[in-house]
Amino acid sequence: MKDINILTPRGQTLTPFLSISDHTALILSAMFLLFVLSVPKYNIPAVISYASFPLLLITAADLPVKPLLHRLLLLSPFVLIMAAANPWLDRRPFLDLFGITVSGGVISGLVLVLKTMVAMTALQLLTHLVPFNRLAFALKGVGVPELFVTQLLLVYRYSFLLAEEARSMKKARDMRSFGGKGKGLFTTAKLIGSLLIRTTSRAEKIYMAMTARGFHSGFVEKKATPLFTGVDIASLVVSFLGFLVVRMVFIH
Amino acid sequence: MHVADALLSPVVAGAFWAVSASLIGFSAQQVSLEEDGSKTPLMGVLGAFVFAAQMINFTIPGTGSGGHLGGGLLLTILLGPHRAFLALASVLVIQSLFFADGGLLALGCNLFNLAFIPAFIAFPFIYRVFAGNSASPVRRATGSMAAAIAALLTGALCVVLETTLSGITELPFSSFLLFMLPIHLAIGIVEGLVTLAVVSFVMKTEPALLATQPASSKPRFIPLLFTLAALIGGGVVSSFSSSLPDGLEWAMARVSQQEKVYGRGDNVHDLFASLQARTAFLPDYSFKISDKAVEKTATSASSLNSGTSVSGIIGSLLVLLLAGSAGFVLRKGSPYGQRGIANSGAK
Repeated sequence: MKDINILTPRGQTLTPFLSISDHTALILSAMFLLFVLSVPKYNIPAVISYASFPLLLITAADLPVKPLLHRLLLLSPFVLIMAAANPWLDRRPFLDLFGITVSGGVISGLVLVLKTMVAMTALQLLTHLVPFNRLAFALKGVGVPELFVTQLLLVYRYSFLLAEEARSMKKARDMRSFGGKGKGLFTTAKLIGSLLIRTTSRAEKIYMAMTARGFHSGFVEKKATPLFTGVDIASLVVSFLGFLVVRMVFIH
Repeated sequence: MHVADALLSPVVAGAFWAVSASLIGFSAQQVSLEEDGSKTPLMGVLGAFVFAAQMINFTIPGTGSGGHLGGGLLLTILLGPHRAFLALASVLVIQSLFFADGGLLALGCNLFNLAFIPAFIAFPFIYRVFAGNSASPVRRATGSMAAAIAALLTGALCVVLETTLSGITELPFSSFLLFMLPIHLAIGIVEGLVTLAVVSFVMKTEPALLATQPASSKPRFIPLLFTLAALIGGGVVSSFSSSLPDGLEWAMARVSQQEKVYGRGDNVHDLFASLQARTAFLPDYSFKISDKAVEKTATSASSLNSGTSVSGIIGSLLVLLLAGSAGFVLRKGSPYGQRGIANSGAK
């Protein structure tokens, strides 16, 4: 993934077909999700058809399928409970499938799970094709305040460092714990408190280092770049028409 | 408690997006007015701290099951409402993009439920009222517990409202609420206890940390304005949208001066219609409802409205297959088709 990002021009997302700006990729993803969300709750064909767009990207870009599938297994338990409840609550016969009557609840539950999977895949593709730092700058391009973009970049950067620290603290606690002792809420709260104090002292050092390097209020570059090129506008229009065609064919 | 994209209708998601985006703008403006650059990295690392702290799980007393810190209230106690909202919002954005918690369009709802409520409702209206600036452990304990429980219960109520307004689930409002509230009451108690324990620890070891947030001089009706906007956006607009045609249908109806768009009946249209009828191997996506279904649906007051049928499903699977195959063909002509790049992208 890294190599692809190096090869793409700065601030451009290399899709399998053409190079579009990062904020266009972001808008395109949001547009796609809006179309997926607007699928009525009993319409399986429309959701399956919308899945063809991420599938086209995956196959054309030769993206790794295994991690994507692995991520799909992490379906929110909340969604699964909601989907599982539908067959019990909506037992109206809906579809005759080779002599078996399928209820409306089964269909709407299935649509819910499929919609989640398609939406998750689309988001995974966005994060695969656009590295996070460029995604944050793209947010600035669509009007997100600079302070929030800086905040996103800092959280992303320091999550990895603090996660490492938290992992070693947890490991140290677990190694000293016998029969689950020392893993209780109040003991762990002290551990979290220590992590918090270490974090804030780290923040002071970071601020001093940042100030020494000329930091004022944000990291976002001031360089003006055109928001949309002809390719961007064409991609947005063509994608919109593609999503609309699926809607018109499969949603009555 | 993250709401997933699929549980929301575009109207509800859009309304909450608008409210949460305004809140980000409002909070960023308030923070900029403070002109205190030293707190920018503090906000950043405290956002990252939430991720890290969530990795350290603990045993919940009396149950034996595990839990972790949520962090919404703790961050607000440390940073104040505006900075905490931005820090929590950044955590939620990263969670939605990389951890499949929630989704891009559900972000508006998740920011409202998990960041706005602890930062702008639970903290100023409950924690501050009970705990104030006093060092009294009893007041701090009451404030932490009450605020954490209220934040979790209000958040759960909002999840139920947003999902019910979206019309995705079959669960009735009251049953859904009865299912959600007891669970979130328990989570709220645990969150309150951890928050209290961490705040007490910090109070003993680094009391200066708790004095970093400025005393709010802003009028308290601002959070209420945003709540009102969310309710109007999510509730009123979605109730209209369910009975009114969508934008495309409305425009078509205006243009054609009739409710449904029919064929014009001219020769060319008829020719293509008959051609389509002859060539279609999966004609019409209307339902093939069983005889029993027809009887039951006839007696039922409500009717199901969708395009799902066996032929529809087969048709959509063919579209999927076609798209997958087209991808393989296109790969050869794309930069990903070159072996080196393709491999580096895949590994």
